[in-house]
Amino acid sequence: MVPVSPDKPLLDELRSIIGDRARAGDFELGLYGKDGSVLEGRPSIVCLPVSTEEVQQIVGACRRHERPFIARGSGTGLAGGAVPVGDPVVIATAKMNKIIEVDLDNRVAWVEPGVLNLDLTTQLKPLGFHFAPDPSSQQVCSIGGNVATNSGGPHCLAYGVTSSHVAAIEVVLPDGTVTLLGDLTPEPAGYDLRGLFIGSEGTMGIATKIAVRLTQNPPEVRTLLLDFSDVRDGAAAVSAIIAEGLIPAALEMMDHRAIEVVEAFVNAGYPTEADAVLLVELDGLAGGVASGVEIVRRVADAHRVGNVRVAADDAERALLWKGRKNAFGAVARIKPDYYLHDTVVPRGKLVEVLEKVYRIADEYDLIAINVFHAGDGNLHPILAYDAREPGVLERVHAAGKAIITASIEAGGVLSGEHGIGLEKRDYMGMLFSEHDMTTQDLVREAFDPDGFANPLKVLPSGSRCSDSFGQHVPEGAWV
Amino acid sequence: MKKVAVKLGIDSEDLASCVACGLCLPHCPTYRVTQEESASPRGRIALMRQAETTGLIDQEFVEFMDACVQCRGCETACPAGVPFGSMMETTREALAEQTRYQPLWRRWGYRILGCPKILTLGSKVLAVLQKLNLLPSKLALPKIPLLQGRLVPSGRDVWLFTGCVMDAWMRDTHRAVQRVIEAAGAGVRFPDKQAACCGALHVHAGLGHEARRLAERTMEAFPGQAPILVDSAGCGAQLKEYGRLLDSAAAHEFSQRVLDVHEWLVNHLDALPPAHADAPRIAIQDPCHLRHVQQSHDPVRVVLARYVEPVILDDEGLCCGAGGAYSMLHADTAAAVRERKIGSIERAQVQEVVSANPGCLLHLRAGGVTVRHPLEIVDDLMRKDT
Amino acid sequence: MNTQHSVEEPILKYAADIGSLGPVTIVGSRTQWDVGGLPSPGSREIRAPAGVWSHQPEEMTVRCGAGTSIRELNEECSRFGQMVPFDLNPEATVGGALAVGRSGFRRLRYGHIRDLVLQIRHVDHSGLLVTSGGPTVKNVSGYDLCRLLVGSLGKLGCIAEVTLRCLPIPETTLWLTGTGDPFEIYNELYRPPSILWDGDQVWVGLEGVKSDVESQAALLKLDQTDSPPPFPEGGRRSLEPKALRGLVERSEGWLAEIGVGVVHYTTPQVPEPLSDPNKRLMSELECRLDPRGRLNPGRQLVAT
Repeated sequence: MVPVSPDKPLLDELRSIIGDRARAGDFELGLYGKDGSVLEGRPSIVCLPVSTEEVQQIVGACRRHERPFIARGSGTGLAGGAVPVGDPVVIATAKMNKIIEVDLDNRVAWVEPGVLNLDLTTQLKPLGFHFAPDPSSQQVCSIGGNVATNSGGPHCLAYGVTSSHVAAIEVVLPDGTVTLLGDLTPEPAGYDLRGLFIGSEGTMGIATKIAVRLTQNPPEVRTLLLDFSDVRDGAAAVSAIIAEGLIPAALEMMDHRAIEVVEAFVNAGYPTEADAVLLVELDGLAGGVASGVEIVRRVADAHRVGNVRVAADDAERALLWKGRKNAFGAVARIKPDYYLHDTVVPRGKLVEVLEKVYRIADEYDLIAINVFHAGDGNLHPILAYDAREPGVLERVHAAGKAIITASIEAGGVLSGEHGIGLEKRDYMGMLFSEHDMTTQDLVREAFDPDGFANPLKVLPSGSRCSDSFGQHVPEGAWV
Repeated sequence: MKKVAVKLGIDSEDLASCVACGLCLPHCPTYRVTQEESASPRGRIALMRQAETTGLIDQEFVEFMDACVQCRGCETACPAGVPFGSMMETTREALAEQTRYQPLWRRWGYRILGCPKILTLGSKVLAVLQKLNLLPSKLALPKIPLLQGRLVPSGRDVWLFTGCVMDAWMRDTHRAVQRVIEAAGAGVRFPDKQAACCGALHVHAGLGHEARRLAERTMEAFPGQAPILVDSAGCGAQLKEYGRLLDSAAAHEFSQRVLDVHEWLVNHLDALPPAHADAPRIAIQDPCHLRHVQQSHDPVRVVLARYVEPVILDDEGLCCGAGGAYSMLHADTAAAVRERKIGSIERAQVQEVVSANPGCLLHLRAGGVTVRHPLEIVDDLMRKDT
Repeated sequence: MNTQHSVEEPILKYAADIGSLGPVTIVGSRTQWDVGGLPSPGSREIRAPAGVWSHQPEEMTVRCGAGTSIRELNEECSRFGQMVPFDLNPEATVGGALAVGRSGFRRLRYGHIRDLVLQIRHVDHSGLLVTSGGPTVKNVSGYDLCRLLVGSLGKLGCIAEVTLRCLPIPETTLWLTGTGDPFEIYNELYRPPSILWDGDQVWVGLEGVKSDVESQAALLKLDQTDSPPPFPEGGRRSLEPKALRGLVERSEGWLAEIGVGVVHYTTPQVPEPLSDPNKRLMSELECRLDPRGRLNPGRQLVAT
């Protein structure tokens, strides 16, 4: 380990602002170099602020010392969006974790960015409401992180992604100004800066307070587990369900290998002999749910479904979902490392692209596991591997690129919910023209003309001025 | 910071098994109160990796490792099945052997736990000082009994493990447990002084050698084949791990005989007297070593449900901050963890709380919580009926 | 390499029409013509191309030219039992509705029309095409320029083509009316599409399968009616939903969308001011995306 000597004057200034919550210890800096992806960098200093004012002063200090900065929530992102490159100061908002106000009359809650997604939903439960975006990492991901990546989750099929559930955001802009984007009114004046900020992955400033919309808890919920002896039947059933004009609350799919690893962790009684399972959730009023269950059964029958299991109670439902939501981590039971992809394809192309994914994995001698949001065509192929095997990473990256190419060729997009971050910025050209990206960069520039906020993310370097802090992903950024 | 060379000796497969997904974070009591990576299981594993790769550590590293409660809540949360507990134990043992991680005064402190005479004498001194109001209230010690009657055996069907601090300070709990076992139809016998301490705290502190010595000694105190019942979750977890600790046929056989007292009781419930009409609302705080290590917290619910209305806390599965000696060595963090837990207890609106581990009982009481061992409540309600 | 679908001929013509010189004003059906002020005299009027270019019922997406009317769009979608809930004047164009960015009266259930946009292809100030978003129902690739363009009055770019998300047409629709506390009604119902209130009378729109609509209706002591009341078109305000409780002054005619906060007035209303930092950000966007101020001059979001 080469000790990075921190910028002493900057550290002193940061200490004068937040005391010993500005950190530069060798070991500790190493902990903020990674998120949930396989990418790794290293911060120069880590700051742990507790208030908007502190964030504002930290950003001010960074500006004075011409140091870029990068916000971090729970560090569970999967695209390297929170991986520090270019020697930045990490501003971790995890300590800003208060639920400030639950405003039932406006059906919003004001929260600090470090509040964990599931914690908010748990606190709202007695009031009959929840926060709709529910990424698989929901128990640990922060709402600030949800805003940065415009998170989805299984239930965004029916409820929409984060952008539909955030009314207003207090932001410390890259120049240190604090402002409120959006408000609690339905049509705030001016351009939709709130909508633009959501999903901008920390490149337009740091969210310090968020007004999230509260969604009514459904009076009725039914969760079904359908098993298929052929993954193609399962995928075709997905399209057929939607084509019936039914939008389930969630429509998830797991392939054979995924079922095996998940069952080993949760013992939920997933059918380990099945080639694929669909996890379907219907919610709402009783009549709609009942007719939805009928449609799902009918379509599933027409697609040679094996067993249809309907969760009998909340406990069984929770167990079925626990399997789904822990699937990625459970992959480590097969191989110690995994690379989780995130692309979207038209639902009608699911079968075709899935088959390609298996072929690509075979070609590169890797194991592919598929657990994904089938209802909106959001694929999450997992490539499982052992990083200690020589040369394996090259194969993993090559296979990943092949999967992304296959998805885009099928009429899909680069990312459904993980974001672009560091991982996919150099693939942006597969989806967008040079001029598209230049326009996006102009928009970013309006917020951060000097490129201080989370540099080197989202857009490839070279698309205008985003390369202020280095040309390429540093070599060491790849584990 | 000054670096020293250390070889932790953690299995490389184990180190590689963490994929840093972060699902452990919300289940870690120290992460919950600090929100810092260094106080999270994922962070601690990354630190272990850094130390193994470089072969160097510094004081910062030692402090990060020492701040873990070792509740092992991360293990049950981990979808990848990372064996965090044993990795932390290996790390601490390496630190204790290769650095001055455990200073002499601490080593002596742990040593006393295995010496019943000194422990009893010390407890009496404390009890006298307490009576004379000479102990600083900051210590938040429970009321320590000056005189305790002997435990009287009632048969040879089952053993009841008595332990060190629990026997010295909370012998009445053992008596209540004994009465419940007897009501279920079994005669209870007690081990001799050989089984003075299970060695759990020693393992946590990295004093593996001392722990193995205590384990050998304890095993000798339980001849025969009768089940060994334990009413302290921490001790039970340790006794069940003797097989792994000593890796001998006798130790494996011994561990097989160990049961948490509730695990035994669920199979003898019918023999217990019927329930009282109005069941009190009682919140269950699972001791971590019952829930995450022994993974047998359900029997407590089953036994209690016969007599009370059990209430599940909304932060179920999270540690209370006791952690054996942790609550004394890291009083501030332990208190912060407890504050969080107390918030959850208050939201549950119950009459009383139960926890099946002496360390948790003492720690929660010191925070002002009305809390008893589950079988103390059962004993009470059961006798009220007869 | 841009592998997104090929560009339709009329889009290229539209881009060429806009070109790179001189002020231009995009004209739709003029249903919301005066929002943000009238266009400066002397700017060339240009119409966006019309036509539904692809509707994929199994994907529940539809792609059309910005000049397509809402009526035409929904006629196409309804052939497959689908709809795009743009509850505005059906003669309005899709591009015009998005450029103005006002939500429809079923927002309570279906959200802002902004949330239905998947992809926008627009012509920028230099006459070049820019694509943002993606054709799939879920996408976070790159910055969300689609949301920025919705409600931008064409000041940042001229919408040429959009891909929208469709929804199934509900089995049953029922309108109720009568007197009652609209806020209590709101709390009583599960995700209703519409609750309207004029300070005296309340209208409730319910949708779903028949039995659900009936069970929800049974919770209310209201009478059946054919449709919502006419919406006053003189002015519009955007209030916090809870501020609607304060709307008791009946000196002017208004109709409020309960739970949403939009209030329709018979008389013009004063727009809300912007904060200084937001005003600055918006000006920065304008001068970067339209440095010569040639797109829809005269219209104003950022009051000086």
